[in-house]
Formats: sequence, structure tokens, C-alpha cells
Amino acid sequence: MRSASDTTSRSTFDRVLLGARVVALAVVAVLVLTFPSTASDPFILSVGVVIASYAALAVSWNFVGGFTGYISLGHAAYSGLGGYATALFITRADLDPWVALFVGALVVAVLAVPIGIASLRVRGASFVIVSIALVLILLLVAQSWASLTGGAQGLRVPRPFGEDVLRPEQHERFFFIHVAFISVALLLWWAIDRSRFGMGLKAIREDEDKAQALGVPTGAYKLTVFVISAFMTATAGGLYALWFGYLDPIFQFSILIGSYMVLMSLLGGIRSLFGPVLGAVVVGYSLEFFKVHYGDSQFHLVALGLLLALVVLFMPDGVLPAIGSLVERFRPDKRTSIREMTAEELLEHNERVETARAGDAPPRERDLATVPSNQEER
Amino acid sequence: MTETATPGAGTDETFVPSLATRGLTKSFGGVRAIDGADVTFHKGRINALIGPNGSGKTTFFNCVTGMIKPDAGTVTLEGRDITAKPPHRIAAAGIGRSFQLCRIFPRLTVLENMLVGVRSPSVLHRLAGSRNDADIEKARELLRRVGIDHLEQSEARDISYGQQKLLELAGVLMVDPETIMLDEPAGGVNPALIGRIGTLVRELNAEGRTFVIVEHNMDMVMSLSDHVVVFDRGRPIAEGPPSVVQHDPRVLEAYLGV
Repeated sequence: MRSASDTTSRSTFDRVLLGARVVALAVVAVLVLTFPSTASDPFILSVGVVIASYAALAVSWNFVGGFTGYISLGHAAYSGLGGYATALFITRADLDPWVALFVGALVVAVLAVPIGIASLRVRGASFVIVSIALVLILLLVAQSWASLTGGAQGLRVPRPFGEDVLRPEQHERFFFIHVAFISVALLLWWAIDRSRFGMGLKAIREDEDKAQALGVPTGAYKLTVFVISAFMTATAGGLYALWFGYLDPIFQFSILIGSYMVLMSLLGGIRSLFGPVLGAVVVGYSLEFFKVHYGDSQFHLVALGLLLALVVLFMPDGVLPAIGSLVERFRPDKRTSIREMTAEELLEHNERVETARAGDAPPRERDLATVPSNQEER
Repeated sequence: MTETATPGAGTDETFVPSLATRGLTKSFGGVRAIDGADVTFHKGRINALIGPNGSGKTTFFNCVTGMIKPDAGTVTLEGRDITAKPPHRIAAAGIGRSFQLCRIFPRLTVLENMLVGVRSPSVLHRLAGSRNDADIEKARELLRRVGIDHLEQSEARDISYGQQKLLELAGVLMVDPETIMLDEPAGGVNPALIGRIGTLVRELNAEGRTFVIVEHNMDMVMSLSDHVVVFDRGRPIAEGPPSVVQHDPRVLEAYLGV
């Protein structure tokens, strides 16, 4: 009977909530899709592509970070490898740029298998350090292996669109390509989130040993999602390479890029679907803002550090979960474990138990089975 | 006092071996936590594993369930060798366990906690939606059974410790284990709840599940178990029905150090 009344009042609230979500999503979709036509000049448009690229990286990172709680600071390894692989498949193997992008990401995914097997054996801080080590190694490789990567000179990436396509047009196309990629990535994240596989991953995030004791094949699950994340990150990195047209090892294999992915995801909320996208918009916009206004100074890094500190202090779960729990406060029948009965109901219940106890001799088992749990605990 | 109890010794005629170890050994540095333990638990019974602090009970649990790898010896479940298999394989073989300090998934809801322990026969099954009617119905039934179904939407970290203990037990039941190993089910919970957990264990045992319980609460051990194994310094020193073990001089010596 309790559940019946709850269902109605809850569903009213949930319907309003769902409506609000749909409206918000629609508004955001319209804003995103009209952005290129409303952007005042090509520079603003290019900032939009940069932010979309950050969002693509953050969403890809969040397959590992959000589900398993393994914080990789070294995901620039996969975006960088994806960029170089795409470029090299175009220049050395004469592949079509889009085929090169896909094949490059596949190669990175295959490479991620042994890397994942090795690095996912360690947890917490040790995993973070292993992930950083990989980026540093790749930076050295990219800088030294000049015959393949162009070394410190960098590597030119041929444009996928012809010379007749002008800059603004390029930006616009790449903006929509990124949006499409982000949409696919979000759809995949959502599908995993609601699957049994996703439930197992979230259990790993909460308590890995416990999850394994309940039959979750933790090693295989972690590796699978790690490889998915590497594939997506490499694709995002390859997209960036195709758009920007030039790869510099210092920038590609940089701990900073990996840190941005973490910061964006944490800021928006790693447990939420849209968290990394929101984080990318906020962080990406601030980065560009500070770069424009303070030029080559490192002020944008100071600002980012402050931002991270504020989020960790006041919204440790990120912005979206913070908004979510704020909204939950207005839920009319908020369920708590503290009070499930009123004092009168409790009194009545106790009397019932008393009479039942007086009624028959060995009451122990039945009584214990009927007393609601919250009455017998602190 | 070096005598080892004969494994699986039973004048008991209905004795059927369930979980068994032979020569199980595990050292941490210079300390032999388990020292060649030969233990056989009875199928379909409530087995208790007792012993003074540091006698190796929890290490024994962890070796059996694959959480740590033994240095030597074998673990079998009804004749099948499960030695040093990874924990999820041992779970799939039919052993469910709880942890000494109750472990739940704090940031998942009570219902989500339940949905973690679902046996998946195939990859497709794993990719299917977690919140399907069959799984949820089963989860709710078990939550009702342990008496915390009204909390299903609460985050597990928000419910009381006693409720978390019940949740952990219910979560283990989702996997349908034939053998359930409980590490101190009565630890840190109030007497009324101890009674309820005891009742649940009895009911589940009546349905044919084998229990292996590590417990310090002697009242619970003596009233609940059919078969008691006493550990001291990493190996069993006595075993038998609770009434017999209770008066065994070796047990008194191990506990009191006389």
C-alpha cells in the first residue's frame, strides 16, 4: 500500500524532472547545431572546434575514469598515438583520411591490450603513475624517431577536404564531425551504463575485491572498457590531427592534455553522462579565454588549478551531480532510512507484537521476521 | 599439542564432504598464517570455524575464496579443484562470501548493490540491461526476505551498519551460492539483529545451502552450528559437534592459554 501511494506522487515529480531534462537537452542541441551559423567570426568557430575536441577527449576518457574509477593522467598517450597513426596511414600508406582515422584508432586499441593488462594490475596512485610514465616514454619516442614521426620538427597532416574548401568551411565541417563523434560516444557510454557490464564496472569503482567475490570478472571488464576508451580517445586524437593539420610531439604527448581530460570530467561529474561535456565546455572556454587575454603567460594554468581546487572543495562529485542532488531535495516523498514510521505507527506496531507474543509460546523467529529493520537498530 | 584433528572425521553417518582443504599453507614473511591445514566442511550443514585471534581464520577464508593465493595445498569444492582460482571463478563455482568488516558498494543504491551479483552465462547477457524485470524482481524478493526492501532507493552508505550487513548477505544470495561463507556475521551488530541473522542462516540452510561461518560470538556458534572446527596457529586442532568441542581440553588450552 505504501508503494502504491508513493508511485503516484513520485511519478509526478519524476515526470516534471524528465520533462525538464528533455527541454534542457533540446535547448542544448539547438544551441550546438546552430553554433556555426551564429558564430561571429572564424576564430570563434575555431574555438568551438577546440572545445568540441576537448569534449570528445573527456567523454572518451570517462569510459575508464567514470566507470571504474581508475584515474588515468596519461590518456594523451592514446590521443597522441591516434593522431600520429592517422597521419602516418595517410602519408605512408596512402589511405583515405577517414579510413586512416579508423584504422589508426584500431591499431591504438590493439596496442592498448598489453598496456591495459600491465597497467590495470595496479590500483589507485600506482595506476596514475604508470599512466604518466607511458606518456613520457611516448614523448621521447616521438621526439627521437625522427625518420617516422618527424621528431621535434613535428608532422604535417594532409587535410581531408580539398584546397577549395576554405578555412571557415573547414571549421564548420569539423565542428559537426566532432559533435557526431561525441553523440556516438555518449550513446555508447549510456548503453554501457545501463547494462550488467556497466553495473559490474561501477561495482569495481566502489570496491573491486567485493565485486570479484560476487562473480564480476574484474580483470576482463577493466581491460574491455580500457580498450574501448583507448579506441575512442585515439579517434578523438585523430580527428584533432585531421583538423589542425600539424602534430607537435610536445603538445601531443603532454601530461597537460591528460590532466585536462581528468579535470574536465571531474568538474562536470565523472558518474554522469553529460558531466565530461559540461566540464569540457567550462574548462575549454576558460583556457581559450585566458590564452586570448593573457597571451603566452602561464596564467591559464593557475586559473585551472584554482578551478579544480574549488570543485574538489565544494562539489566533490562534480557540477551535474551537485545540481542533481539539489533537485532531489525538492522530491516530495524523499525516502530516508531514518524514519519510515511515525511515532503512532510504531506504538501500534509494538502493541501488535506484544499481543502476538502473549498469544503463543515460542515467538522468537516470527517476531524477528516481522519487526521492520529500522526499529531494531540505532 | 601438535596433534592434528583427522580431516572430515565423523561418526556422523550422513556426512557428505563439501568444501575441503588439504595441506593448505600460507605465509606472510616469517609468519605461517595457515600451516598445512586439512579441513573438511559438511555439505548441507552449518559449519563454524572458530579460534583465537590471529589463528588464521580470515586468511583461511581468503585462500579458499581466491582473494589470496596459498603457498601450498589444495582447495576442493565437492571434489572439484578450485585451488588459487580467481575469486570470480570461485564465486561462479558456487561459493558466496561476506567480509569481516561488512563491505558493500557505498555509492550505489541498495537495489544496484543487489544487481551486481548476477550470474552471466554469455557476453550478450552481460550487455543486456541491468535493470530488467527478472533481476529486479529477484533482488526485491531477497531484500524483502532480509527486511530492507523499503530502502532500495537509498544509497548503501546512508543505511545503518546493521542494514548494511543484511544487504551484504542479500547481495551474496543474488549469486545463488550453494556454499555461503560468512566472516563474523554477528560482529558489531546488536542482539536483535544477531537473532535475525541466525534465523536467516537457519532458513537458508534448511533450503539446502551449506554454511561456513567464522564467528567470535560463542552463543551464536553453539546455538547455530552443526559442526565446529577449531583453529589455532593456522591449523585445525579439534572438530566435532558444538557440545563436544566446547569441552575439548585442547580448545580450552588454545583459547585460555592454560
